Amino acid sequence: MKSLGFMLSVVLISLSTVALAQSDAQKSFDKLKILAGIWKGPLTTDPAQPDLPNLGWVSLRVTSKGNALVHEMKEPGTPDDPTKDDPITMLYLDGDRLLLTHYCDAGNRPRMVGKISPDGKTVEFDFLDVAGSTQYGHMHHAVFTVLDANHRTEDWTFMMEGDKPVHAHLDLQRTR
Amino acid sequence: MDREWNDNQPIYRQLRDRVVAMILDGVLKEGDPLPSVRNVAAEYRVNPLTVLKGYQQLVDEQFVESKRGLGMFVKAGARSLLLQGERQKFLAEEWPRVHETIQRLGLNAEQLLDAAASRRSSPQAAQSKTETEER
Repeated sequence: MKSLGFMLSVVLISLSTVALAQSDAQKSFDKLKILAGIWKGPLTTDPAQPDLPNLGWVSLRVTSKGNALVHEMKEPGTPDDPTKDDPITMLYLDGDRLLLTHYCDAGNRPRMVGKISPDGKTVEFDFLDVAGSTQYGHMHHAVFTVLDANHRTEDWTFMMEGDKPVHAHLDLQRTR
Repeated sequence: MDREWNDNQPIYRQLRDRVVAMILDGVLKEGDPLPSVRNVAAEYRVNPLTVLKGYQQLVDEQFVESKRGLGMFVKAGARSLLLQGERQKFLAEEWPRVHETIQRLGLNAEQLLDAAASRRSSPQAAQSKTETEER
């Protein structure tokens, strides 16, 4: 009887841990889904470039009955052109994890796992794995930070050949 | 720069290759600034990060240097470094195929030197001479 009680406690603790983890992933995903819309803002990089275009564009769209968030980096209204390099990123829940898959013009698809910060303002994605060749580098890290309903930032780190990072930072303002 | 991209390599690698060709052809000389990221991104409608990645590749390969606040510039000695690398690449990757074709066609050194000389004097004349001989 004692051992049955012990087993039940273990099961209950495990279930509550899973539920907590799920709610964290769900919480992060819900937070990101609120960001759906069109965003624009200045782009800065490291290594620094003095003559970058003043505006970076990001669109976020909830799709698949709320099960996926599509992230695109191109100006709205730009016609689709399969020869160009407009990168697409999909964000979705996978069990108790929030995942991001980046479809890169380098020909690979890295996955990253998201983790929300204690203050709930930042979701940081750490590299999990990659499908396809990394011969020409791969996207390695991403951070989404919400400042307020209409302002947020995105940080992306691309690993070049030889694991040399190129970092991009976008200060975004909601346009719609 | 050509506006078309092929499917064999990512665009940033193709951009890198095009800048290399511009340095080898003398279009970009040592000390010259690279075309601005803004202009290349706008003109070829590519992501500015893609342009930056292509340029960063050239920095990593020591052909280009980044000057804080000013942009990227062709480094002194870049052309000879590139020539050295491209010659090695040609001899290792392309020459074996060319040599095989020469052997297969039974061309001798004299014919090859003649063809090279007439090509130097007039590329069009060399082409027309080849076509006449074919007939």
